[in-house]
Amino acid sequence: MEFGGKSRAFRSALREGSRFDPAASHRPVLTFEAVHKAYRADCPVLRGLNLEIARGEFVFITGPSGAGKSTLLRLLYAAENVDAGRILFLGREIGRLTDGSIPFLRRNIGIIFQDFKLVKNWSVLDNVALPLEVLGLPPRVIRTRVGEVLERVGLAGRGADLASVLSGGEQQRVAIARAIVGEPALLLADEPTGNLDPQLAVDILGLLEDINETGVTVLFATHDRSLLDVRPRRVVVLDEGKATDVPNGLDELNESNELNDAPELVGRRVA
Amino acid sequence: MTPIERAWRGTKNDWRLHALSVFSVAVAFVCLASALLVVVNVSHVRDRWSSTGRASVYLKKGAEREQIATIERALRASDGVTGVKFVSSDDARHEMTGQTDDPIIDSLPTEAFPASLEVSVQSEVAAGRLEKLAAQLGSLPAVDRVETYAAWSDRLAALLAGGVTASGLLALVVLAAVVSVVSSTIRLALQRRRIEVEVLKLVGATDDYVRRPYVVEGAVQGGLGALLAIGLLGTLFAIVESRFDSSFATLIGMTPSFLPWSVALALIVSGAALGAIAALLSVRRLLSA
Repeated sequence: MEFGGKSRAFRSALREGSRFDPAASHRPVLTFEAVHKAYRADCPVLRGLNLEIARGEFVFITGPSGAGKSTLLRLLYAAENVDAGRILFLGREIGRLTDGSIPFLRRNIGIIFQDFKLVKNWSVLDNVALPLEVLGLPPRVIRTRVGEVLERVGLAGRGADLASVLSGGEQQRVAIARAIVGEPALLLADEPTGNLDPQLAVDILGLLEDINETGVTVLFATHDRSLLDVRPRRVVVLDEGKATDVPNGLDELNESNELNDAPELVGRRVA
Repeated sequence: MTPIERAWRGTKNDWRLHALSVFSVAVAFVCLASALLVVVNVSHVRDRWSSTGRASVYLKKGAEREQIATIERALRASDGVTGVKFVSSDDARHEMTGQTDDPIIDSLPTEAFPASLEVSVQSEVAAGRLEKLAAQLGSLPAVDRVETYAAWSDRLAALLAGGVTASGLLALVVLAAVVSVVSSTIRLALQRRRIEVEVLKLVGATDDYVRRPYVVEGAVQGGLGALLAIGLLGTLFAIVESRFDSSFATLIGMTPSFLPWSVALALIVSGAALGAIAALLSVRRLLSA
C-alpha cells in the first residue's frame, strides 16, 4: 500500500510477542500423551492413552460402564489428575496447572452431565447466566446473551420458569445452554442422554451437532450404541484401559464383526 | 450479580435456617450484653461514689450547739470544702420517713437518727482530701464517726472487677457459640446448595467467588444476632427502668442506664466479624475437602 510516498505493509493489531504463536491455531485442541490413570493400582482405568482431537471435531467416547469415559472427561476439566503422561489443551498441559489456574481452564470448557446439575429452585435464566456472572459481565449483556442462547436451544421465552418445572429434555437443554453461553472452545458431554427417552436423546444429539457446526469441539461420552449409529462420527472406544480410535463410526467396526469380541483389534489402535 | 445479591438469594431460599441461626446467635449475645449492662451500671455507681466529694459527720448524742458551730466554721474554712449543712435528728428522721412507707421506720423515735453535718468537697480533690479530713474530724469529742463512702466505692470496685472477669468469660462463651452456630448453618447451607457450588466450580468460579456470599451470610447472621440481642435487652431494660424505684435511685445516687451506643455498635460489629470469620473458615474447609 502506498501512503505518503512510502510503502507500508499491513501490520496486524495483534503483534507477535513472546506469548503469541500463530501456529497454535493449527494445533490439536486436545492431545493425550501416554495418559495413565488408576483409582486402584491393580485396576487402571486408562493405560497409556494416546489421542489427538482437532479443533471443531465431534468425537464420541464410548465403551462399557466403568471403561473410563467419565474419568477421561474429568481429567480434561481437572477434576482428576493423571498418574502419568500428559494432556494438552490448546497447548497447555492440564496436569501442570496450579489450583488458581483451574477456574480459568474451566471457563474455556462447557460441561454437560447426565443428571443436568441444574439448581432446581432457580429460574432458567439464573441457571444459564451463571458462567457469565462468574466472568463478571454486566447484567444487561448477560440477559441478552442468555436470551440468545435460550433461543438457540429451543427455549425462547422460558427464562423466567423455574428449572424444577421443566421436563427432562428441557432441563438438559438448559444445561446445554449453560454450557455454551460462555462460548467455550470445548464441550464435554458426559452421558447427556442417559436420563432421556430415545427420541429426546436424538434431539439432544442434534442440538450438540448444531453447536459443533459453529466450530466448538465436542466430546460426547455415551454407552448408547443407537446414538453412535445416527450419523457416522469419529468414535473412541474405551475398554479395559485401552482406547480404539474409529475415525468413521462404528459401522467400520461392524463390517469386520469384531467389535464385541476384540474392539481393540479393529480400527486405528491408539493405545 | 454481586456477593450481596447472591447472599440474599441464598438467604431467601433458606430463610428458616438463617432465622434460626440469627436467633441462636442472639441468645448468646443476650448473655454477654446483659453482663456488660451490669458492668456498665456498676461502673457508673462506683464512679459516682468515688467522686462524690461528700462526707457525713455524725455527731454524738448531746453534742452542744457551740461545739457543732465551731466544727461547722472550721469545715467551711478548710480548703476544698464547698458546703456544710447541719441535719438535725428531726430533719434526718423526716427525710428517711419521706422516702419510704415502711411502718417500722415510721415508728422509730427521733433519737434513732443521729444529727450530722453533711460536707461537700470539690470532686477533683475528693478522695485524698476527704480521708484526711475524716481522720481529723474523727478525733473531735463531739464527733461520733465520719462516713466518706470510700468503703462502698472499694466494694463496688471489687464487684466491678468480678463483673469484668465474668463478662470476659461470657465473651469467650459467645465467641464459641457464634462460631459454632454460624459454622453449622453455613455447613448446612453449603450442603443444601451443593449443586450450586459444584456448578459454580465447573463453570470456572474461583474459590473466592464461591466463598464470598457465604461470608456475607455469616457476617449478616452474626451482626443481626447481636442487633436482635441488643433490641431484646433494650426492651427488657425499658420495662425494668419504668418500674425502677426512684427512692432507690436516690439512694445509690444514679438512675440505671442502657449500654452506651459505642458498646452496642462494638457488639454488632463483633458479631458480624465473628460470623464472617466462622463462615470463611467453614467454607474454606469444605471447599478444600
